[in-house]
Amino acid sequence: MMDIVEDLWAAYASTLGFAMVNAFFALATYATLSAGILSFGAVTFGAAGGFLGAQMVLHSTVPLPLIFLAAGLAGAVVSLLVAMIFLRLESHWMALASLALVLITRVVVLNTPDLTGGVNGLSIPQPLPLEWLAGLLVVTVGAFYALDRSWYGIAARAVREDTSVATCMGIDPRRIQLIAMGISGFVGGLGGVMMALMLQFVSPDTFFIHVAFTMIAGVVLGGSHHWFGPVLGAAVFTALPTVMQAFIPEMQDIGNGAALLLIMIFLPRGLLDPRAMRLRRARK
Amino acid sequence: MTLLALADVTKSFGGVTAVGGLSFTVRPRHVVGLMGPNGAGKTTIINLISGLLHPDAGTIRLGGQPVTRARPHEIAGGGLARTYQNVRLISGMTALEQVIVGSYLRRGTSLLASILHLPAARAAARATRADAMDLLARVGMADRADTLAETLSYGEQRRIEIARALASQPKLLLLDEPTAGMNAAESAEIGRLVHALRDDGLTVLMVEHNMRLVADFCEHVVVMNFGRKIAEGPPAACIADPAVQEAYFGKQRDAQRHRA
Repeated sequence: MMDIVEDLWAAYASTLGFAMVNAFFALATYATLSAGILSFGAVTFGAAGGFLGAQMVLHSTVPLPLIFLAAGLAGAVVSLLVAMIFLRLESHWMALASLALVLITRVVVLNTPDLTGGVNGLSIPQPLPLEWLAGLLVVTVGAFYALDRSWYGIAARAVREDTSVATCMGIDPRRIQLIAMGISGFVGGLGGVMMALMLQFVSPDTFFIHVAFTMIAGVVLGGSHHWFGPVLGAAVFTALPTVMQAFIPEMQDIGNGAALLLIMIFLPRGLLDPRAMRLRRARK
Repeated sequence: MTLLALADVTKSFGGVTAVGGLSFTVRPRHVVGLMGPNGAGKTTIINLISGLLHPDAGTIRLGGQPVTRARPHEIAGGGLARTYQNVRLISGMTALEQVIVGSYLRRGTSLLASILHLPAARAAARATRADAMDLLARVGMADRADTLAETLSYGEQRRIEIARALASQPKLLLLDEPTAGMNAAESAEIGRLVHALRDDGLTVLMVEHNMRLVADFCEHVVVMNFGRKIAEGPPAACIADPAVQEAYFGKQRDAQRHRA
């Protein structure tokens, strides 16, 4: 009996860790989405942070907090470079271009073995303390909360909902979207180093399509109009396969798909939707 | 002394000339009406002035600065604010938030201070909120501040849109048919608000095709038809102008023929 409880805890502790890592990626995606950009770029920003973090652990004695900071900055630098090229594109082409960027990232990682370990990847002899992961996530969510209430958050919503009206109020949409990309880059870079340390291993497959899928699904699931939506969505999306595995292992994939479908049909704006909350309040 | 000057402004869409060689000026602290039947090119003019469209020829100056090729947010930064013919509020925002968006140009705090939730950023946000509340009170919407704007009536949404435009403290306010869909009492209230704003130093250019309202609201009128100016001057003289009568009601002998 005791064995089962311990097994469950072991399984769920790592699920909790990955839920928090995925929350970083989902928040990075939310950062751009809340300014009207659908982008898969956080995968690439994560790769920048992840490989830099891995190299710093392997080849230096820099303390963890500085590694986190460096990974975030690396993501931000890459995101701003990408933004300067991509923000010229119309929104749907931008989404496609960012998907292409994910594919390019993998090719670049494979072909720069000196930096990334190439096809073999890099093993990282440094576990990720869960309290660091949780602490940084709380700080990040706090920053998103503060931003959401600030002039930036309100301007970003205006750009997302009606760019033309926003510009006539003096808002430069390119400036807002550049800021959004920078934030996405920093948070994506943090997510990348967290992922690397959580797995204690990075390879070209660490930052690839499955991460893009998880983070987009997480944001849609949790709610792309609320600062806490991505965290909730990432948690649900990370836990769902594990829970399904525990209860109906033979129908795990069907269960996942059905749960997602139900949410898409009945909650198209996600689990947390401030507009729906306000509508409910208005009806009272 | 002019606040806004259009000189020979021309804009075509495909082969259709929406605005052809239009010139007029707007003096500070005046309420100027832009009048004309449907399809006269009034909204095109508003879009040209606010920078959503750029003229094919001619120049537009705002406060002496050429803004012919400027982008909308730059023109807004130069002191222009506008409303829309079909109210365009932002989905999902409360009435108060709509007005806060309008005060973007006066945000008074940096991005970093906002991320870190510094006291200076919080104080700036509080001041913005208080100013937005004052503006909502000014248009009589203070008690609806926390209501989702899209659930309000059309007339209420129009008033919120005006409050939003005022939030940037513009020098020139463009109103695109501010009383469309309003009854006489509501229209008169908008008229009183516009006059009060002028008395506070604001300049207003309003598109309106209701002749009586123009006569009541405006000190100076520009009348357009098919993209060209057909009359300009005091409202009463313009409305009496045969060319204006013809544009609105058709030719006299047509009417007689119909009667016969």
